[in-house]
Amino acid sequence: MFTWLSGPGAAFRQPLPGSTNYLSAYDPAGRLIRATQKTRPKGPESEDDIEIDTETPSPEKNTQGEKPIPKETLDDLMPFPMNRQFRSEPVLSEELKDEIFRQWKEEGKTVRRISADMQVEMRRVGAVLRLKSVEEEWKNQGKPLATPYARSILSMLPVTRYAPQVPITAHESINDLPVHTSTLRQVFHPVSESRRFTRTDAGRVFDPTLLPADERIPHPELIDAYRDIGKSPEDRAVAQQQREKKEADIKEAKRRIWAEEEERRVTKVETERWEFRFRDVSVEDAGRDGRGRNGVGARYGMPHEDRKKGIVKIPRRVE
Amino acid sequence: MVVRIRLARFGKRNAPFYNIVVSQARKARNSKPIEVLGTYDPIPKPPPLGEGKPFKDIKLDKSRAKYWLGVGAQPSDPAWRLLAMIGLLEPRFKVMQMRQRASEVEGLREVGTDVEGEGEGEGESEER
Repeated sequence: MFTWLSGPGAAFRQPLPGSTNYLSAYDPAGRLIRATQKTRPKGPESEDDIEIDTETPSPEKNTQGEKPIPKETLDDLMPFPMNRQFRSEPVLSEELKDEIFRQWKEEGKTVRRISADMQVEMRRVGAVLRLKSVEEEWKNQGKPLATPYARSILSMLPVTRYAPQVPITAHESINDLPVHTSTLRQVFHPVSESRRFTRTDAGRVFDPTLLPADERIPHPELIDAYRDIGKSPEDRAVAQQQREKKEADIKEAKRRIWAEEEERRVTKVETERWEFRFRDVSVEDAGRDGRGRNGVGARYGMPHEDRKKGIVKIPRRVE
Repeated sequence: MVVRIRLARFGKRNAPFYNIVVSQARKARNSKPIEVLGTYDPIPKPPPLGEGKPFKDIKLDKSRAKYWLGVGAQPSDPAWRLLAMIGLLEPRFKVMQMRQRASEVEGLREVGTDVEGEGEGEGESEER
C-alpha cells in the first residue's frame, strides 16, 4: 500500500483542480495519460475518445509545465476501471442551476422554453426549479445549507458549466422520441406506390391512436422554430410569442373546461366544521360482476397487496 | 328482511374508510353487499391554499341512492346524515337541523326588512 501511495498514488494526494481524477485517467506509473499523449491517433478503434463538451474551454495549467491539459475524454470518465461500460455522466453546475431558476422566476419563462434554451431536459429543469424553491425557502428560514459538501462533490464530478457570455454547451439530448410499446413490433405493411405514405400514416399502422412522432417528441415547437430560421430575428421572436400564446390559450381553455366539469360533478355542503364534497359517480363503472377496475369503493374478494414483498410503497413520481 | 343503506368500514387501523352500501340488514358489516353506492372518507383533508374549511370526500351515485330509497331501503343513522346533506332525505340530525334553522333565521331577517318597509311581515313570521 505504501509503495502505491509513494509511487503511482502520489498523483492523487493533490488532485487536479477543475477535472475528474478517476483511476482510469492515469497510467500504471501514475502519470496523467491525456497530458502525456499530445496527439491521439484518430482511427476507427478510437471511437471512445470522442471528447464531450462538459468542461469550459478554460485551460488548466499543469503544476510543473505551462502547457494546458486537454479536457477529459470518455476514457478518462471511467470511475471503475474494471467496468468499462460505465461512464460518469456530467451533472449541472451551481451556476447553471441558478441561471435556470433565475430565468423561471425573474423572466417568467416556461419550463419548456428554458429546457430548449439551456439544452437541459424538461424533467431535469422541473427538478431544479423544485429543489431551488426549497433552497430559497430554507434560506429565508435561516436553515443551514450543505454548501461545502455540494462544492466538494461537484469538484469531483464532470460538470456542465455555464457562463453568461460563453455559448451554451448542451447538457444532454432534449428532444428524444420516447419509445412507445406499440412501436416495438416489426410491421410489414404493403402500400401501393401511388399512395402518399407519411410518418403519420406509419404511426397509424402501429396503432390507430398513436400520435405521429412529430407530436410525441418533448419539444414539438422546435420544429416550427427550425422552419423560421431564414427569417429576421424580430419575425422569429414574434412567431415564437404567437406560438407560446396559442399554447397557453389552449392550456387555459382545457383548464376552464375541466373546472366547469368539476363544478358540475361535485356538490359542496358546508357544515359547522367541515365541507363535504359529494362527487357524483356511477355504479355501472364496476361492471356487470361488480369487480371492474373502475368501480367505486373498496372491492370485495380482492386482498390488499400492500404488505407483499416487492411492492413499492414510496411515491415514484412527483406531481 | 329489510334492505338498508349503510356504511361498511374498510381501510386500516386509525385510517377509516367507508363504502356506502345497499345490503340486507342482517348480513355482516363487510359482507358482499347488494350494491356499492359510493364511498365516504371521514378523515378531513386540509383545504387547498389554506382557504376555507377542511373538506371530506364522498363519492355517491345519487340516482341509485334515490332509487333504493324509493323502493324502501332504510338508511342507517350515519347514512341518513349523509343523504340528508344532498337533499335526498329530511334532515334528522344536529348539523343539518342547524343549517335549516340558520336558513329559517335568514328568512326571518328578510321578513324583518319587510317589516321596516311595510309593517305586515311580523304577523307572517309569528304564524310560522
